[in-house]
Amino acid sequence: MTQLTTRSRLVRAAFVGLAATSLTLTGCSTVDPAAGGSDSGATDDGTFTLGFAVGGQPDADWQELQGDVAKGLADQRGWDFVELSNDNSEATATTNADLFIQKGVDMVMMFNGQPSANPVIAKKYEDASIPVVTFDIAQPGWYFVGVDNASAGTEGGTKLAELAQEKWDCDVDLVISAEGTAAGQINEWRTGNARTAIQETCPDIPEDNYVSYEADGNLTTSLANAPGVFAAHPDAENILVVGLNDQAVVGALQAATQLGRDGSIMGWGQDGGLITGDNVDPNLAGSVMYFLEGYPASAFEIADQIAEGNAPEVKDTGDNAAVSVKPCPVTQEQAASIPNIDERVSELASAAKGTTEHDLFCDF
Amino acid sequence: MTTSHLTPTDPVATKPDKPHISITDGRTFTSFRDAISITGVWVLLLAATLIARPDFLSNQTLLAVTFTMSISGVLAVAQALIVISGGLLDLSLPVSLTLSAWATVSALNAGLPTVLAILAGLGAGACWGLLNGAIVVFGKLNPIIVTLATGFGGLAIMLILFKSAQIPSTSALRAYGLGRFLGLPNIFWPMVITIILFGLALTYTRWGRRLIAIGGNARAAKARGLNLRRIRLATFTGSGAVAGLAGVLFSAVNPSFTPASGTGFQLIVIGAVILAGISLSGGKGNLLVLLLSVGFLATIPTSIAFFGLPPAWSLVFQGALLIIAVGIDGARLKRTSR
Amino acid sequence: MTTLASPLFEDRPQSFRHRTLHSFNGPVGSITATLAVTLLVGLLWVGPEFFAPSNIQIVGVSVAIPLIVAVLASFALLAGVVDLSIGSMVGFGAVIFNQLVATGLNPWLVAAITIGVGVVVGLTNAFVIVYFGAEPLAVTLGMLTLLRGLSQAIVVSAPPTTLIDPLYNVTQGALLGFPTLLLIGIGITLVAAGFIGKTRVGRKVQAVGGDHRAAARAGISVTKVRVIALVISAVGASIGGILYVGQLGSASNILGTGLEFQIYAALMIGGYSITRGGVGNPLGGLLGLLVVAGITNILNIQFFDPDYLDLIVALILLAAVLVDRFRGGDEFE
Repeated sequence: MTQLTTRSRLVRAAFVGLAATSLTLTGCSTVDPAAGGSDSGATDDGTFTLGFAVGGQPDADWQELQGDVAKGLADQRGWDFVELSNDNSEATATTNADLFIQKGVDMVMMFNGQPSANPVIAKKYEDASIPVVTFDIAQPGWYFVGVDNASAGTEGGTKLAELAQEKWDCDVDLVISAEGTAAGQINEWRTGNARTAIQETCPDIPEDNYVSYEADGNLTTSLANAPGVFAAHPDAENILVVGLNDQAVVGALQAATQLGRDGSIMGWGQDGGLITGDNVDPNLAGSVMYFLEGYPASAFEIADQIAEGNAPEVKDTGDNAAVSVKPCPVTQEQAASIPNIDERVSELASAAKGTTEHDLFCDF
Repeated sequence: MTTSHLTPTDPVATKPDKPHISITDGRTFTSFRDAISITGVWVLLLAATLIARPDFLSNQTLLAVTFTMSISGVLAVAQALIVISGGLLDLSLPVSLTLSAWATVSALNAGLPTVLAILAGLGAGACWGLLNGAIVVFGKLNPIIVTLATGFGGLAIMLILFKSAQIPSTSALRAYGLGRFLGLPNIFWPMVITIILFGLALTYTRWGRRLIAIGGNARAAKARGLNLRRIRLATFTGSGAVAGLAGVLFSAVNPSFTPASGTGFQLIVIGAVILAGISLSGGKGNLLVLLLSVGFLATIPTSIAFFGLPPAWSLVFQGALLIIAVGIDGARLKRTSR
Repeated sequence: MTTLASPLFEDRPQSFRHRTLHSFNGPVGSITATLAVTLLVGLLWVGPEFFAPSNIQIVGVSVAIPLIVAVLASFALLAGVVDLSIGSMVGFGAVIFNQLVATGLNPWLVAAITIGVGVVVGLTNAFVIVYFGAEPLAVTLGMLTLLRGLSQAIVVSAPPTTLIDPLYNVTQGALLGFPTLLLIGIGITLVAAGFIGKTRVGRKVQAVGGDHRAAARAGISVTKVRVIALVISAVGASIGGILYVGQLGSASNILGTGLEFQIYAALMIGGYSITRGGVGNPLGGLLGLLVVAGITNILNIQFFDPDYLDLIVALILLAAVLVDRFRGGDEFE
């Protein structure tokens, strides 16, 4: 009996709900044309609106911090600020473009770690005539703000090779590249150029001593895949490690420690994610810092001009960047004087307009 | 016969058909056969790699394999306890892992002594398991669906809680994670001890026999007067604590991790359990065979590296092996039940 | 009220009105209510622009491909064989399609090849599950791993870009102010719903999922039904992969990761079960996907932290299975 009443109540609730919905739907469809205008929507009250899409890669805390820094800078200027996450997914990144266009933002900044859909996303923004700043991953038509990845790779490789020259007289048995192939060209620049730079400084290292493996750009995967690489080269003593980022390199260094191969091993990271703070891996000789979390500070140089109505010329490649973030190669000793990521963010927030983290922290 | 394993309410499930009298002998025999077949395939893999690279059998390979086995081995015990007790599967183990690793690291960063930090890790895992168990028992819901939801939701909560966590490099736990004992990685030994301990407990204690009994036929066990709810809750909590141990070990070897760092273990752990002949229908399983299957699966990535293939191929081989293994197991079940 | 589960599918013929009422009474009814609540929350929180054409377009474009994959995968659920490999198959299908189109082959030919690969994968799953009697969950988990590995082995650096205009227009465009692909998806859903509910073959699929022994006694070929259901599921996923390439213009090696869980969570919210066959209706699946897509969209256009989304979906999923159990479904012990 109770069951029956519950059931009929459910049925009634469902019907009432349906009816209410269809009523509201019809009611609203008349309002649609006014509210639905894509780039001059009702939300546009003349305030400059900035859309910001963070990368959403689970293994990179700097991506969320980029959003925090950008929000701080936008608040400083009294702009509207809306943030989405690309969730490390090309499908989500594409939907986010639609959402920003619908919102009627005046400009978009983003890091998209899965750039394969970038041509489609670019097409959408182009149709809506919204300028885009992309961090680190170039796309024709978008302002490129980022490190010159090619030179970052070369600088890291050169520094590491110089250490090898000094300590081991270039007697290197193994050069390991901890790659993150999903990053595409960036991976090639950072790891490939590092290898080439090592080759130039230490030309006598045989070709066979260069080995690459997939570290996926994160420590856990790198640590899972690296032990096999060390085991497969049991006689190598003097080992160098380069990689897509600090996480990948540290994964390899940790694996070496587990296999007792950390007697003479040196790694040089990229991005500086694990070179500051109290817990730096002793074998991470140095890293190339880009101060990733501070990228928005550079991007706002462009945003300020766009907001004033005189958009600068689009420079969209790593060689010809809108803002080239200067890479800052640091040894572990030098990095000890650089504050950790959270402190850097707060220092940047209180710094004068136009200051970059490179100005603040890279002075050696 | 194919899907009814997963339908605990199905009145015509296969379980009542099983001959109960010969269950011990039959089980020992099946386990023995499982052990032989895994060892056989393992030897094949070793032989194939040896032909390609005669230097494969070395101390380095042993270290690489034992290191890879450690964390997935402990997690596999946690999963096996759920499966054997008829709890189907726990899809939220990656959350248990990172949650307890995070609890451990937070305790250490707060300056608490190592023992308390380890207890915090085990406790966090146990609490997570208890939460899952409570939803399963009191909601009378299917564990696969419950842990699918808590796995989703738990990861979301952790992402809100923290972005990344680092173990203090000077802590004793960190030093333990980097050390070796009897020539093998330190973290390998807790795994071995866990497997042996729970393996023995399953066979020789009343607790273990109850677990197997309710896994084999929950209704019959209930009819015999066992408190199903209490055992279920205890199993989920205990399994959570074992996953908590995995989290503690994980935090000791991964100097920096994020909430999502555990996701990579999900498939390999389920694969190891199934490969070990621990049927998802519950009530059977031998943890020593589990040790073999964990070891075998951990050898694949190292072999792949020796062949010079990219690591993606170890996924291909592990997937294919899982398909073949459950196929063979299914065919065998089909034959014996006829 | 809970222990004596009433059989969901009775053999007694029922009047159309009775059956319609019955279906509203069941999962489809509560999911309709959930959807209504979602829409109401959207309307109250976001305002009328929640129903703006541009917003409907956004929701439609993002839900359409999962919908098509879900409806075809629901045949396997209904027949009592869960297929976890659909997410990886979407990714693998997309990778094959994208890489082959980039070599300059005719897209139609490549689409045929991709679907062919789907058939092979579905047959492989079916062969091991049906002929060897292996656990579907375990087999398709293995296939999930295998296909992801293959995608990663094929795409080792940045994948090529293959923008195919007609496919882009179908997957991203609108027809009469409504997302084209969503219309197609709804069409497929209606056909599937009609097929399941109105044809003899459809009822056979339900019977096999509900109680395969009784179905076998009634002279239905359990083997044939399950093989076909698994092939349909894999083919649906490969079609989903092709459509994603149309929508995104490329395919990375992580495309489709976790999609199977999102889809099955939505299907379970819509009244299906991944652990028990014979229950569920494609219409419920559609509504389940719309609920999740609606919540996602509300959080998105309010620019809310997306981490909360998974938490909300998890809670709704638990609530949905709990409600289903109170109605006499799926009880664990």
